[in-house]
Amino acid sequence: MTQASPTLESLTRRLAELPADFLGEPLRGSKGEVHTAALVRDSFEAIGVSLSAADLAAFEPVATADRNARLLTAIALWLIASEAFAAKPKDVAALLRALETDISALAAHASALQYHTDPERREELARLLLARIGRRPAGESAAVARDRLAAISSVERAHLIAASRAAEQRARDLREALIKKAAEESADKWTRE
Amino acid sequence: MSDPTDDERYPGLTESGRAHLKAMAEHAAAPRFRNRSGHRLLPEDLTALAAFERETLAAPIRFSETCGSDARPDWLPDFLRDAYASVPHYRRLGPVPRALTDVPPVSRADFAHDIAAFVPDHIPVDRLINFRTTGTTGHPLLIASHPRVAASYLTFHKRALARRGLHLTHGAGEVGVMLLGFQKTCFTYVSVTPQMNESGLIKLNLHADDWTGPADRARYIDAMAPEVIAGDPLSFTEYLTLAVRHRPRAALSVAMALSDGFRAHLESALGCPVFDLYSMNEAGPIGVYEASAGGHVLLQPRMIVEVLDASGDPLPPGVRGEITLTGGFNFCLPLLRYRTGDFGRLADTPAGPAILDLEGRKPVRFRTSSGAFINNIDLSHALKHVPLAQFRVHQFADGQVLCGLAPFSAGIELSVRDALAPIFGAVEVAALTTEPGGKPLQYTSDLDGAHL
Repeated sequence: MTQASPTLESLTRRLAELPADFLGEPLRGSKGEVHTAALVRDSFEAIGVSLSAADLAAFEPVATADRNARLLTAIALWLIASEAFAAKPKDVAALLRALETDISALAAHASALQYHTDPERREELARLLLARIGRRPAGESAAVARDRLAAISSVERAHLIAASRAAEQRARDLREALIKKAAEESADKWTRE
Repeated sequence: MSDPTDDERYPGLTESGRAHLKAMAEHAAAPRFRNRSGHRLLPEDLTALAAFERETLAAPIRFSETCGSDARPDWLPDFLRDAYASVPHYRRLGPVPRALTDVPPVSRADFAHDIAAFVPDHIPVDRLINFRTTGTTGHPLLIASHPRVAASYLTFHKRALARRGLHLTHGAGEVGVMLLGFQKTCFTYVSVTPQMNESGLIKLNLHADDWTGPADRARYIDAMAPEVIAGDPLSFTEYLTLAVRHRPRAALSVAMALSDGFRAHLESALGCPVFDLYSMNEAGPIGVYEASAGGHVLLQPRMIVEVLDASGDPLPPGVRGEITLTGGFNFCLPLLRYRTGDFGRLADTPAGPAILDLEGRKPVRFRTSSGAFINNIDLSHALKHVPLAQFRVHQFADGQVLCGLAPFSAGIELSVRDALAPIFGAVEVAALTTEPGGKPLQYTSDLDGAHL
């Protein structure tokens, strides 16, 4: 993190003001409307970068694409298409890598919409993308920026681990309850299929 | 786990209800009741059920709100939002899609893989029950449910009965419903229905092994005089062999489709209207057959019925495809584009929105004597006036056709040969043997090109 950047507030505000078009259903196979590869191309053009077909290959609308990750990609692209991310060649490669790997990891644990509606998730996404191109929010030292990104990510990770454990326990409880309590022995229906 | 107590099985049971249970179970001609069960409804459930019934029976069912992928009923946005927030399977898919058609359909295989992923977070585990179903694949599937969901079936039965001007009247000291089984082994018990002033519910097996003497079956049925009998074509066929004098006010048939011929035969022999319900554990009663509609008229105001093609794309009204359900009343298992494995087409009929040409399972094509292929639905049409409780049509790899019939008689055999001759020419006809309690595959084929 070597170069000063815009204020954190300006980035999170931009995420909060996401245009509704970016939340359109991602095209996957024959279903959906937002062509993610085209959105990647257009967003990078907005910051003065032309991408090749090879750069875009990972964002083609295949039927097996993860819907939530594609939605979060669109949200991240809205942020990337701002002056704050005006690109240098090395930034482009880093941002494309972030879109392919970081976004999938974030999307595996939370609804993409939270990175638009939840202040903490907005901050996490903004800090993460900024860090990937070696920048930091205005007014923060490199160390402070690094620590705050780590903190907001680790708090979220702790929440996720706790939620995941609770979900696994509930799934076990549900399965056990269902197996134990055959409805024939516990409720009346006037017809039986 | 210890056995439930009577207080748990029948919360709030009155003294007269207790006496009624005893009278049903201990009648001199009663069968051996092998099991015990009850409604398990708490006072708050009864309050909720009464409100649900009032609302459901008063709600209109409009084609524009219940049929097709363009249906946009008022309840849908909240239903989708709640499911995507509280059902683990949907939460993993990200935010709520804008359109129902953007929700990926699910099938029985998804439920079988992990039913817990489809139960909303807020459903308490302690009152959860299951309904076990084997379906077409033979793999048992546990459907998450609740005593209130089970009791809600009655509301849809009432809606079906009301379509022909019937309103249930039996209450305390009377038997509201007798569920008829005809299987080698069957879960049997007596209970009461608190929403009907503790009218009796008897689930019995007509198989002779459950009775002391052969004449007891008719004696018991006459003595109990149920207002409604419920069963399937096989149990009704056995019922008709008994010297029963009692005439129920209605018969509810589930589990297997009735042909027009068999329905007419049943109505005449039972002396009451027969209601052919399209019902499944996953969704409860969905429709009831009505001749004026030419199909099954929809019964649930808060359910969307779509028809999808093999790749999951919506088909317009009138085009045949897989029946797919959204909504319903089972709050333990909200359905979002649940592919039922049943096939039919939607129509807005004068009797209301309906599913026409309903057939369980994937369509099978048959090769006619002219070499053309026809759908199994055409065979159902050809056989619809023959009074068959059950039939099975199989085409061998060489094109020969075997038709299995139940009941089997010389007259019925001739009718079937006549009905199928224009399609296949000569066919082989034999008595159908079925597994007790089984739901046999009705149409099968070894022919190349039969399965699309």
